[in-house]
Amino acid sequence: MNSLLLLMAGFFLPLFPLSIVFNALLSRLCHPVLRVMLILVWPQIGVLLLAASGLPLSSDFFLGWGLLTALFYAWRLLTVRDLGQWAAMLATSAWAMTWAAATANDSHSLHAFVLWLSVAPALLILIGVALKKRFGAAYAGLVLGLARDLPRLSALIVIVVLAAMALPLFPAFFALLQLLMHTSIGVAIPVLLTWLLWSWSGTRLLNGLVFGPRSGAIADDLDLRLTWAFTGLIAAIVLLNLIWTGA
Amino acid sequence: MIHSQWLIPLLPIASAVLVHLLAGRLGKRVAKLSVAVSTLTVVVALYSLIGYITTQSNPYWASLGGSWGSLILDPLSSIMSLVVAGISLIVHIYSVRYMAEEPGYPRFFMLLDLMTASILLMVSAGDLITLLVAWHLVGVLLYFLLGQNTESWPSQRYAFWTFITYRIGDLPLVLAAVLLYQAYGALDFPTLFARIAENPDATSVLGLPVTATVALMVAFSAFAKSAQFPLHTWLPYTMEGPTPVSALMHAGIVNAGGFIINRFAPVFVHSDGVLHLLFIVGLITALIGSVLMLTQNDIKKSLGYSTMGQMGFMVMECGLGAFSLAVFHLIAHGLFKGTMFLGSGSMIGEARQHDGVPHNPLYTFLVERKSASTKLPWLIIGVVTLVVPLAILVLAHWVVAADFFQKQGAIVLLFFGWITGVQVLFATHRLDASNPIRMMMLILLSFTLIVVGYTFIGHAFENFLYPDEAFRNAIYHTAGIDALTFDGLVVLLALIVIGGWISSYLTTRDESLFGNRFGNLQLTLYSLISREFYVADLYDRMAHTLLDVSKRLNVWLRWY
Repeated sequence: MNSLLLLMAGFFLPLFPLSIVFNALLSRLCHPVLRVMLILVWPQIGVLLLAASGLPLSSDFFLGWGLLTALFYAWRLLTVRDLGQWAAMLATSAWAMTWAAATANDSHSLHAFVLWLSVAPALLILIGVALKKRFGAAYAGLVLGLARDLPRLSALIVIVVLAAMALPLFPAFFALLQLLMHTSIGVAIPVLLTWLLWSWSGTRLLNGLVFGPRSGAIADDLDLRLTWAFTGLIAAIVLLNLIWTGA
Repeated sequence: MIHSQWLIPLLPIASAVLVHLLAGRLGKRVAKLSVAVSTLTVVVALYSLIGYITTQSNPYWASLGGSWGSLILDPLSSIMSLVVAGISLIVHIYSVRYMAEEPGYPRFFMLLDLMTASILLMVSAGDLITLLVAWHLVGVLLYFLLGQNTESWPSQRYAFWTFITYRIGDLPLVLAAVLLYQAYGALDFPTLFARIAENPDATSVLGLPVTATVALMVAFSAFAKSAQFPLHTWLPYTMEGPTPVSALMHAGIVNAGGFIINRFAPVFVHSDGVLHLLFIVGLITALIGSVLMLTQNDIKKSLGYSTMGQMGFMVMECGLGAFSLAVFHLIAHGLFKGTMFLGSGSMIGEARQHDGVPHNPLYTFLVERKSASTKLPWLIIGVVTLVVPLAILVLAHWVVAADFFQKQGAIVLLFFGWITGVQVLFATHRLDASNPIRMMMLILLSFTLIVVGYTFIGHAFENFLYPDEAFRNAIYHTAGIDALTFDGLVVLLALIVIGGWISSYLTTRDESLFGNRFGNLQLTLYSLISREFYVADLYDRMAHTLLDVSKRLNVWLRWY
């Protein structure tokens, strides 16, 4: 029974190739709210299944599989140019690390862990909507140099991509630190490599959207009220996370 | 006192927020606001340092009350805060006019303030997490500062190089923090260092000694941040960024490696092998940086490689156990390199406006490398340049510390000081002058003043940074190697140097020790140097291979 539950958890805390289910599902959903909900809820189901199977996780097999999946998706992330796909693969890579976190944490901490790792992909989905509304696609390289004409949208993209790269002071940074503080060197090294690949792919994404000479259709910048709403949301997330981490 | 210490990183953060919020209303006048706050930061940093010295305080640690978010006020943090705030102020003042024509003027000042805050937080961080946060932020903010011109591809490309190298350097420090926390169960530096002193022989899960492993990780981090070979490729190419950023980077940020090694000195004192590694990497970096500097025809790139060489010396000093000297070096280098960069920016600007080459004797000597004919006999000058620097160095060090020559590190430093002194005298004695003897005397006097001043200040600085003599001796002892190997190395180095001088002398007479037998080897070496040893090309090839395979995988898996 435990093995079956763990295998089912493998769909929700995606282990390759079971991860294909989540990625395919996310790409087929059209409504942004549904997509955001899927990102926020999907891994929580995985944590519930893990808890049902009985913590702490004792199997090195799942731990290794999770770490390899995280690294594998981080590597694939390097050449993904569509913002929606990028968010999906980043989430897949990040959630797969829950298998490492599960060896040292209780289910309560795991729920928080996957939530903090889900924030950036969820925000990326919303940015993808803003880009599609203006340019018909959220594809890096299709429109370049947004920083010149759309400074507000560009700033938002930059901040959310930095959050996705798990840089301080964003929640994913502390989630990864928390994970690393409670694991062995053998686990820490693949986690750190995954982290490095996120940074590489994140900057590639920024270079394909925000920076470079301006090209593409003329479009309106993000509405001021919407900008403040996003800023407030991100600030609240950062603040909550700082309180949670005990700063 | 600790309250003012909190103000030091908080003031630039407040400035960045104000610059962002008031940019629409004040326009370019926000720069003045930024400069004003920078000045205030310098005043607070100076007040903090003076207060620390005059009250003869002990190191002080204060937390916000949580598990992280603390500052430490000790000699290292107080002196570094003043240096960083000072250099940042100079860069701020210079940028007001220099950046006036550039797009994104308020953004630049906001980023500059945030960068200043991050460095100040880094140098005064009182626990591992705060240090990690600041350490990571420095790399991120530098990426945006170097890419200030958002439409320039070269700026973005080289900003990325810097960013990714810094990320490669960030991660070993994370691992070091993890190992320390797991082994000693503390995040704050005072508790952590006390526990390390109590139990320096703790081992990690894999049975590796924690202090040595952590020291190695910190060293790797320092190598990336301070452009040590082979992680140096980003440094000379960051010249696409604005000149004030180059100045800040070369004067302040790149010194982070020296700082972090000093911060973790209580760890390094228990890890002898890592200090030897620092020495070797520093030595290689200093040599390669200097060689590559000589082959550049771009003034800023040449300065970039010069910084690389200086960083090599800084790390090498740490490897010799002269930790405080490395801090002294980074401050001295920071000040002169910062002003040089700002000067080079002005010079480039002037050259663009008034295109003319100043054919005066100094230009002929420095740029065309043609020395003036001198009346001084070569042999006498040769003897003077060899003997006098050695005598001055030995006397200066003997006066401040009689037991100085019992420390291997000190002897190696003396050796390098001597060679550098000889080179300086060799290079300058041929300057055009109406009275060459008087000029030589003046050069020797200047040299004596510099060496004596440097030695006295250096030793005073060492007493300030590391007042515990036992700890200082322990670091020198850790850096030492067995006497026979040491003596052998000194003799070998001396022979190499003498060989170099003979070769140099023969070259000036159009002669060679080996004729044309090594002509092809020289050509190969020259092409290697001109292509910067193909290190960047190697990274480029590796990156493209990884990207190609990633793309193929995505296509095979239909992007799911």
